[in-house]
Amino acid sequence: MISFEMSSHQQQVKDVVHWFAENEMRPISMEADKMGRVPDDWLEKINQLGIQLSTSSFDGGEQKSEKKEKKRKSERQGNRLAVIASEELGWGDPAIALTLPGPGLGGPPVQSSGTPEQKERFLSIFSKDEPPRWGAYALTEPDAGSDVSGIRTTAKKVEGGYVLNGQKIFITNGARASWVVVFATVDRSLGRAGHRAFVVEKGTPGFRCTRLARKMGIRASETAELLFEDCFVPEENLLGGEAYYESRGSGPSGFQVAMKTFDNTRPIVASMAIGIARAAYEYTLDWVRREYPRHGRFYHRASEVLANAELDIEAARLLTWEAAWKADIGQPNAKEAAMCKAYSGKIALDVCAKCLELLGPAGLENHILEKLYRDAKIFDIFEGTNQIQHLVTARQLYEPHGVRV
Amino acid sequence: MISFQPTEEERAFVDLAKDFAEERIRPMARECEEKRQVSPELVEKINELGFLALELPESWGGLEMPLISQVQILEALSFGDLGVVQGLPGAGEAASLIRLIPEHSVLNVYREAGREGSRPTVAFLHAVDNGTPQGLKVEAEGGGYVLNGTSQPVRLAAFADYLAVSAEDSRGEPLLLWLDKADGRWHAEEGDYRLGLLASGCARIRFDNERVSQNQVLAKGDEAQGMLSKALSRIRVLEAAKEVGLMEAALSYTTGYTAQRKAFGQEIAKFQGVSFALADMAIETQAARHLVWRSATKTDRGESDARDSSFSLLSRVHRSLRFVTDSAVQLLGGHGYVQEFPVEKWMRDAQAQTVLYGREGDLLVRCGEQLLNERIPTEV
Repeated sequence: MISFEMSSHQQQVKDVVHWFAENEMRPISMEADKMGRVPDDWLEKINQLGIQLSTSSFDGGEQKSEKKEKKRKSERQGNRLAVIASEELGWGDPAIALTLPGPGLGGPPVQSSGTPEQKERFLSIFSKDEPPRWGAYALTEPDAGSDVSGIRTTAKKVEGGYVLNGQKIFITNGARASWVVVFATVDRSLGRAGHRAFVVEKGTPGFRCTRLARKMGIRASETAELLFEDCFVPEENLLGGEAYYESRGSGPSGFQVAMKTFDNTRPIVASMAIGIARAAYEYTLDWVRREYPRHGRFYHRASEVLANAELDIEAARLLTWEAAWKADIGQPNAKEAAMCKAYSGKIALDVCAKCLELLGPAGLENHILEKLYRDAKIFDIFEGTNQIQHLVTARQLYEPHGVRV
Repeated sequence: MISFQPTEEERAFVDLAKDFAEERIRPMARECEEKRQVSPELVEKINELGFLALELPESWGGLEMPLISQVQILEALSFGDLGVVQGLPGAGEAASLIRLIPEHSVLNVYREAGREGSRPTVAFLHAVDNGTPQGLKVEAEGGGYVLNGTSQPVRLAAFADYLAVSAEDSRGEPLLLWLDKADGRWHAEEGDYRLGLLASGCARIRFDNERVSQNQVLAKGDEAQGMLSKALSRIRVLEAAKEVGLMEAALSYTTGYTAQRKAFGQEIAKFQGVSFALADMAIETQAARHLVWRSATKTDRGESDARDSSFSLLSRVHRSLRFVTDSAVQLLGGHGYVQEFPVEKWMRDAQAQTVLYGREGDLLVRCGEQLLNERIPTEV
């Protein structure tokens, strides 16, 4: 049955995360943006509370064992819970959200392609009883972003493992991460079939962070440049193990690991963008109610802008929920994931810009809005640019007609 | 629990409607447009299948479906051709009014008239829009009313045996009237319509000193206002659903066309100027569909903001409809503009539809004013 009512569990997750966003994230939001980092003591406190960003599914502080039992009993809803929670985190502060301890974007590839031993080794280190830890995902290079097949980082097979050489850029939490999922090629002439995904652990000789990027927005989030110089990675850190790639024969390999990740993470990223848009909308609605006269040209314009913003947010949320729902029921969702990301990234910036318009010059100083605007723009770019989302969507639309675009 | 899964029953209905739309409605669309009427055989078949009775109450022999089911079926039917769907006779929009007051004595004659199967046609005439009279003057006189003037063009007016009229009398009191052509005289004035929905029986209604007695009054005052508001909320959602059907038609036709059409040595789908525009059409269509479903479930559940949500819904879906049907014509190029291909008709129909059902900008502003005037949380 078609329904947009949250189950009590979904509502509970939303309420808990919203409380956290409002009472823990918002108070440090502007300051963290100014400092360009999330305070360490805050991260430690949060970690002790058991709050983590896991993009495979959001556990909202529940005990793992409890959760597994629940899953068996009822319909899978991890993806829906994840987008519900991410919207609230985006509402709180997207930069801080991206800095919450946990495997982050590195989680899904390990979860979906790792061997049982690798899952245990890499995913069990995130615990509230330990210091805060992070995972990261390193795909983009200076000369290969949207075109993932163009990556140049090499992995040379040697006795007992591989030697990596190359550079990665725009890596969220890349410097603080305990491990990074790194995509490299064993043979550029093989194209996508030559791709491999490795888990490179912090402190591995030949692996270092060379620089942190300074950005338009999400300034509190760490965006690292990583360098691999004759970096030896043992065989057991090849994601999925040798057998995984051998069994696939001619099919794309590391590339598929990279792409599969996106179908899971795009709805989450989209919902953070929706959270940003909602934060801007709510802030402006409140402001207009207090500051505008109840008639005239400005009031009329505000009515129009705010009604449109509300629709944009609602439409984006429903696209995102659908993508998450499809993942939960085990249906392919590449098209829906791309559509929701394309739409949400676009409307988030648009809503922020229109809200700034309603505030006028006053919006320039000491309002969260200008920060939301700067933060929103990245959602049109990372996890696949808006253009890539269009490409993926079009590809899915033309596939039944036998045309590959 | 959040879910986008239709029920088994809904799927069965939708499959039936979609097949019928493709096999029977689509091939007849041009002919119906030229004859300015849906062919009687097509109407008969649609009536047999029950598609004219989705909204009517069970006590009237209708299916009394929830909106969430109806919107899926109407979308599937309109996938065939919106022009045909909008020209279907029967209770039309008045079904949403009848559903609210199935036992009202003023409706008895009409109720009986539909017993044998095919139901006479009703046009729903809105002689007042948000407090502004629309061409009709209604004066209270001797316990009844006198109607004068000419209305705006109304769908189905040319075929109508009955009229549902929403109006305000000269003192500003809201009124809902039910007029039977058998005991009154009104004139349907068909204009020179060329834009679209040409089979939908658009006409102006003219009244010359038409006297209406108390037993033609469905409701007045606050009761009339409340009833009208409820019926219109339902109508907006149903109309938006039909628009999504037309969007899906334009999207699917354009996908097929651009996948086989070649230029510069390859399928034009391979040019990103084309494929990205198609992706935008798909995104817009899916977003509109979800918004329709959302409003339908809100109305079915009787949520307090269902009415306001129907305003903004229709405004957005109008915009999406114009965008998607225009994009279809654009992507077919010259072929999009000529009548050998269906998309030029769809764009015209789309534009006519958005003109007939509420001014897009006005709907939006009304919703925005509601937002500013009361605390409506956007959080879900």
